[in-house]
Amino acid sequence: MSGYASGIVAILCINLIFAYAVFITAAAGQLNLGAAGFQAVGAYAAASFSNLGWTPGWATIPAAMAVSGLTGFLLAFPVLRTKGVYMVLATFAFGEVVSGILLQTSLFGGAMGMVVPDYLPLSSLVAGAVFATLLVFFLMATRFGLALRAIHDDDLVATVMGVNVRAMQVAVFTIGGALAGLSGALYAHHFSFVEAQYFNSTLSIFVLLFVLIGGTQTAWGPLAGSLFFTLVPETLRIGGSWRFVIFGAAIVLMMVVRPEGMITRTLVARFRRRPAAVKPVAITVGEPHVR
Amino acid sequence: MTNATAIGAPMKSITTKALVVVVIAAVFALAIALGGRVIAQQIVSGLMLGAIYLTVAVAFTLTIGVLNFLNFTIPSLFMLTGMIAWGLREKGLLGFAGGWAWLVALIAGVVVATAASLVVERFTFRYLKTRHGDATEHAIPLVSSLGFLLIFEHLVILTLGSESQRFSVPFKADIHLFGLVIGAPQLVSLGCALLVVAALTFVLKHTRMGRALRTIAENPEIASLLGVEVTRVVPVLFLLTGLLCGLAAALFTVNYGDVSPFMGDHVGSKAIAAMVLGGIGSIWGAILGGLVVGLTETLSIHFFGGDSVEMIIWGLLLIVIIVRPRGLFGAVAVGKGKL
Amino acid sequence: MSADAMLKVEAVNKSFGGVKVVQDVSFSVARGGRTALIGPNGAGKTTMFNLISGVIGMDSGAITLDEARIDHLPARKRIGVGLSRSFQNIRLMPHLSVVENILLGQHSRIGGLGELFAPIGWISSAPARAEAMRRLSEAGVDVDPDAPVAGLPYGTRKRIEVVRALMSQPRLLILDEPAAGLNPRETADLSTFLKSATADGLTLLVVEHDMAFVHGLCDHTVVLNFGRLIYDGPTAGVRDDAAVREAYLGARAATVGGAGRAA
Repeated sequence: MSGYASGIVAILCINLIFAYAVFITAAAGQLNLGAAGFQAVGAYAAASFSNLGWTPGWATIPAAMAVSGLTGFLLAFPVLRTKGVYMVLATFAFGEVVSGILLQTSLFGGAMGMVVPDYLPLSSLVAGAVFATLLVFFLMATRFGLALRAIHDDDLVATVMGVNVRAMQVAVFTIGGALAGLSGALYAHHFSFVEAQYFNSTLSIFVLLFVLIGGTQTAWGPLAGSLFFTLVPETLRIGGSWRFVIFGAAIVLMMVVRPEGMITRTLVARFRRRPAAVKPVAITVGEPHVR
Repeated sequence: MTNATAIGAPMKSITTKALVVVVIAAVFALAIALGGRVIAQQIVSGLMLGAIYLTVAVAFTLTIGVLNFLNFTIPSLFMLTGMIAWGLREKGLLGFAGGWAWLVALIAGVVVATAASLVVERFTFRYLKTRHGDATEHAIPLVSSLGFLLIFEHLVILTLGSESQRFSVPFKADIHLFGLVIGAPQLVSLGCALLVVAALTFVLKHTRMGRALRTIAENPEIASLLGVEVTRVVPVLFLLTGLLCGLAAALFTVNYGDVSPFMGDHVGSKAIAAMVLGGIGSIWGAILGGLVVGLTETLSIHFFGGDSVEMIIWGLLLIVIIVRPRGLFGAVAVGKGKL
Repeated sequence: MSADAMLKVEAVNKSFGGVKVVQDVSFSVARGGRTALIGPNGAGKTTMFNLISGVIGMDSGAITLDEARIDHLPARKRIGVGLSRSFQNIRLMPHLSVVENILLGQHSRIGGLGELFAPIGWISSAPARAEAMRRLSEAGVDVDPDAPVAGLPYGTRKRIEVVRALMSQPRLLILDEPAAGLNPRETADLSTFLKSATADGLTLLVVEHDMAFVHGLCDHTVVLNFGRLIYDGPTAGVRDDAAVREAYLGARAATVGGAGRAA
C-alpha cells in the first residue's frame, strides 16, 4: 500500500472508532460535543504509560481505555443532570477544560506535546476499528441496545417499561469514553506524537457531525458517516477552502433531505426485508407527542 | 418545559439576584482596594470586552430561548461583518464616502450579516418537519448551522484571504478619568450594547411581535393554534440575531482595530460561556454573564497569563453547569427539543 | 370488598401549582375484575393513572398493590411488581420496529446481565421474539413486524401499545383510553381481545370515554368529577346515579344519552 493510501486508512480507522464512541451515547439520545476531550485523555494516558517504559508496548492501550472510560463514568453523573442543549454545552465545556489542562501541565509537555516511543503499525489500527465496529453492532443487537434506542425515542416511556435510564446512560458514557480513549491511544502510538492543540473543539464538532449525518438510529450510521467524511474530501481533489464550502453545503443539504442521517432505521429495514413487504413510511407522524 | 419564560420576563426574586450582583461588585471593589489602579484598569477593559460578549450572548440566548436552537452561525455572522467591512474598504469601493468610509463599511457589514442570517433561517427552519419529539431532534438545526459556519468562513477566506487585517478608524479619543484610561469607542460600545438590549427587552415585553415570540417559546404548537404565524415570526428572530452580531462585530472592530476570518470563533465561544453562565434563555443572564466572562478574561490574563484564560472560563462554566444547570439567572433547565 | 382488592387507592391528593387535580380519592380494583375509571374531561383520570404508575408523585395518600405499598417505588420499579400501563396519546417508540416495541415490553422480565447482553435481533426464532409474534397475532395485528411503527395506521399502533403493555406479564394492566380513535369494528375487536387477555386472572383498569365499550367490558366503574370520587359501584348502576347524571348533564348530556342506549 502506498504511503498516501495507508495514511488515509489510518485516519479512517481512528475516525471510525472515535465516531462509535460518540454514537453509543447518541444512540441513547445524549449528544457529546466534548469527545475530543475523551480522545485526548486516552492519547495522553497511552503516551505517558509508553514513556514510563511499559512492556509490551500495546499494554498501554487497555490501560488508556480504562483511564478514559473511568473519566466517562465519573463525568456521566454530573453531566446526566442536564439534557438537550445543556448537555451539548456541558460536554463542550469538558472538552475545553481537558485541552486547557493539558496545555498547562508541564508533565504532559504543555504546548510542546509528547513523543510516544512505542510505534504501532497500521494493522493494529485496523484491528481496533474492527473491534469497535463489532462491539457496537453487537451491543445494538442486544436488549441493552434496544433499551438505548428506547431512551433515545422517549425516556419517560422507557422508564415506565422498567428501563433503568440513568444506569444505561452512565454505561454508555463509560463505553463511549473507553472507545474514544482507544482511538486516542491508537493515534498516539501510530503517529508517535501527541499535542493538546490537535484535540480541539473543531475535532469534537467534526466527529459529532460524522455521527449525526451518518445517522444515530443504527450502528451503520457512524460507518457511513466516517467513510463519507474521510473519503469524500480526499477524492474531491480541489483546493483547500472550496472543499470546506462544498462540505458545508453538503451538510446543509443533508439536513434538508435526510434530517435523521444517511442511514435510518427505515432504510435498513427496507434492505433486510423483502422489498415488497415494506410499506413506504412517511417522515411525518400523525400525532405529535404532547408533553 | 417552559424554559424560555425568562425571555423578556421581569427578573424574579429580585433580592437573590441583587445579592449576586452586590457580592460580585464587592469582590471587585476589594480587588481594586488591594490592587489599586492596575486592577481598576483591568476591570474597565474587562467590562468593555464584556459588552461585546454580552451582545453576542443575547443573540445566542434569543435563538435558544425561543427555538431551542444553538445557532452556530452566530460566530460567522460576527466575522462576516468585520471582514466584509474591511474588504469593501480595501478594494476601494467606498471612495465616495470620504472620511466616513469606515462607518459606511461597517454598516454594509451589518447588512450582509443580517442577510446571511436570513439565508440561514431559510435552510434551517423552513424545511424541518420531522417531529418525533426524540432526544436528538434539537441537533438537526444545530448541524445545519455548523454547515453554514463552514460555508461562510471559507467563502470569506476564498475571497478575502485568511490573514488578520488592520481596520483603522480615523479617531482616537481616550478619556482619562481618575487616572484610568477609558477608550471613547469602548464607552460608546458599552452604552450602545446596553441600550440595544434594553430596547430588545422592551420590544419582547410590550409589542405584538414580542408576545408572538414569547408564545412560540412557550409552545410552538399552541402558538400556531392561537394564530401566531410561526413562519413569519421566526425570520424576525434571525433578523435580530444578524443585527446583534453585526453590532457586536462593528463595536469590536472599532475598539480593537483587527479583523480576521477567525475573529468570530473566539468571541462566539466566550459568548456561549456567558450565556450558559447567566442561564440559557434569560436576556439579563446573558448581560451579566457577558460582563463576568469579560472581567474573568482580563483578570486571569493579568494574574495567570494568557494561556490560562480558556481553562479558567470553561472550568468555571463546567462547575456552573454541574452545580446549577439553569445558570445564575435562568428559569427551568432546557429539556427536549421543540418546534 | 377489600378482601379481594388487588389495587387500593386510599385518600390520594394531588395538586399542580394551587389547583387540586385529585382530592381525597379512594377506591379499589377487584382482583381478576375489569374496572373502568370514567369522568368528564378534566376530572383527573389521567392524573390518577400517572399517580398509580408513578410517572408523577402524589402529595398524600397511599396506593397498595396486593397489600404492599407501591407509592414509594420509582416508576421504573412498578412494572416489576406487576403493574403495566398504556398511554392516552400513543407513546410507541417511533424509530423502533413493531416487534422491537413489543420486545421492549419484556424489559422488566430480564433476569440478569446475560439476558441483557444476549443478541435478540440476530436470531429470528429466539423465544422472546416468538412470544412477541404470538401476542401480536392474538391481538389481530397483521403488519410487517420489522416495519418501523411511525408510519402504521392509528388503530394498529393503538393495539400494538396494548400488546406491549401485556408483555411484562402484569398482574394489573391499566389502559388509558384504549378505544379512543378506533372505529366501531376495531373497538369491538379490542373488547374481545381484552376479555380473552384477562381470562386467566389478569386485573384490568381502563380510563375510557366510550360508554358502550365500558358497558361491554367492565363490571365495575369508578367515576371522578373535578378530582373527586362521585361513584364507585357496578357499571350497570352508573346511568341511574344522581351524582353522575349531574356531573355529565351540564356539559355532556349527549354522552349520558349514549350511555343510556348502551345500557
